[in-house]
Amino acid sequence: MKILALFTIFVLIFGTTSTSLVSDAYAQKNTKILLDIATQADTQILNQLDRSYGDLVPSDIQTLYEKGHAAVESLENSLPDNVEQAREDFLAAMKSFMEITRMISEPATEAKLTTSSDTSDRDLKSELNRLHKYFQSLKTIFQKHNMETDFSEIERLFVLAYEQINSGGIEEITTTFHQLESLIHIKNQEIREYSSNSSSDRIIEFALKQLKRIQTILEDPSIDTSTPEFENANSLIAEIKILISEDNISVAKEKFGELNKIMKIIKRSTVE
Amino acid sequence: MNPEIVPIHRKEFLREDGMLFVRTDGILDTMAKIPLLVASMIIVAAVMPIQSSFSSPRILDLIIYPDGSTHVSSEIDVDPLVTDFELDLFGSTIDNFVVVNENGFLLTTDVLGNSALVETFGSSVITVDYDIHDLVSKQGRVWTFSLDAPSDFTLLLPKNSAIVGMTNLPINMEIINDQNQLTLSAGEAEINYLFGTIPNIPDPTIPNIPDPTIPNIPDPTIPNIPDPTIPVDPTSQSDNLTYAIIGGVTVAAVMGVVAIIRIKQKTIKPIHDQQTVQKTETIDTETIDTETIFKLKPDLREDDKEIVRFISNNGGQVLESELRKKFLQPRTTMWRAVKRLERNGVVEIEKKDLQNLVKLRKNMEEEK
Repeated sequence: MKILALFTIFVLIFGTTSTSLVSDAYAQKNTKILLDIATQADTQILNQLDRSYGDLVPSDIQTLYEKGHAAVESLENSLPDNVEQAREDFLAAMKSFMEITRMISEPATEAKLTTSSDTSDRDLKSELNRLHKYFQSLKTIFQKHNMETDFSEIERLFVLAYEQINSGGIEEITTTFHQLESLIHIKNQEIREYSSNSSSDRIIEFALKQLKRIQTILEDPSIDTSTPEFENANSLIAEIKILISEDNISVAKEKFGELNKIMKIIKRSTVE
Repeated sequence: MNPEIVPIHRKEFLREDGMLFVRTDGILDTMAKIPLLVASMIIVAAVMPIQSSFSSPRILDLIIYPDGSTHVSSEIDVDPLVTDFELDLFGSTIDNFVVVNENGFLLTTDVLGNSALVETFGSSVITVDYDIHDLVSKQGRVWTFSLDAPSDFTLLLPKNSAIVGMTNLPINMEIINDQNQLTLSAGEAEINYLFGTIPNIPDPTIPNIPDPTIPNIPDPTIPNIPDPTIPVDPTSQSDNLTYAIIGGVTVAAVMGVVAIIRIKQKTIKPIHDQQTVQKTETIDTETIDTETIFKLKPDLREDDKEIVRFISNNGGQVLESELRKKFLQPRTTMWRAVKRLERNGVVEIEKKDLQNLVKLRKNMEEEK
């Protein structure tokens, strides 16, 4: 027993200290990441200033940039020893860069408003990527349920849609996209219907297991059998069993919810 | 001066032999309580994570698309004793909402505003996937992502985007297919980014700092081989020292265990068994051709292809832990990669001795 006690204490102490060792290593890696992000932001801001103003950067923006750049330099100098200072420098730099970006972005947008065809392309591609991800999720579920279904038309349309995006045909891609949406919607309905039907077995299995567990709790001598909740619980158990035998799953689900609430009350009163 | 008024304990303390006498019944009392103390410590240690785990995502991954919509993917532990689980969503404009349980079976859901009621019925883990349009806003050229996250999460930013402001300290950053992936802590986070259109200006004052917006960044999935021409960063040196201590102990332990297992295997396994294993491996290697897989799945990521090649070279199946060791990836990153391959229908995951066995699917051609 003494050895067991010592071993457990050793494990607990080692567990605590090893976590702090890892956190320490993590903190040091973290500071390097901060420098990478801040340097990247610094470079981007410089690009944006060059693009927007050339050599005539407004003085307030110039001051903000110098403040941010100084924080990046300080961040670099405070590594690797002064982690706290590095964190402060990082936040200070990012705050300055954030303000600059907001200041330089607004007038540029007004001038460029909706003229870019890139935006449309980008949105469609994003939508298509999202739809493709959704389709992959559904396809995996179909496979998990061992459902045989034909995805070839959807897959063909995805290939076509990506080709159309690359070739820039907005009207064609919109049509293909709608076709894809509608076909995927049908597949979605199909799998949800199937899943809803096949889930009844799972629900019955779960309910019977839980009813057994609840009955064991109710048989505990510490439970006060004179309360109305006790009676209600027993009658609900009987009712749920009948509903399950009649395959009336949706009502059984509702009753099961009621039973759970009553059981919470019973448990609470037993503890008190 | 009367010597009788000197306190007794001082007298004992000044004994010449210097021995200390302690009441033994106190020690026995303490000894008897040790098992109780240990047992309670173990129970507390075991129960604490269970209590905090329900309803808080164990994995939370976000992908921002170039149009600002975000794909949310999370894995949540739920109470297997309840019928349903109320899931808080990150907004109300939800698309493509899919919830499956640990067996990959679709669960019935009801989305109401910012929350969804999921009928779990005995499930212990649910995987939730949806697209949301509430997390990113745009002002001028600046895109702002904001989220009050219930747990640590990863955030994959769009291609060609550059972070220009953030309110939080990131835990980690990786480059995946030229995209920045940040790991952030739970709590409120705001990140500003924009799409870089002009090549970065090289700054001679900043030495040897990799810029993720520049192409030809080393693939994070490939193990790093130190380049002798690059000066060693002092930060990485101190990193290495700490990692070396932890790594050294771990490697020694692993090597010891491996050596013991190998010795046991050598002594126990009969020759005809070994021949059977070799034969099976040969058959698997013959049936699984990576090039065919890549032809059937042209959209696979390069890092995923590396994983497929590795599995194929290992006879078509490998433990997930082996993949992590091979590609030096954290558990969550490798798990995501494996799940991605599973979604693409390239691999299937099986449980073997409480570990995940990743197997290449053999009927891919038939499916096609």
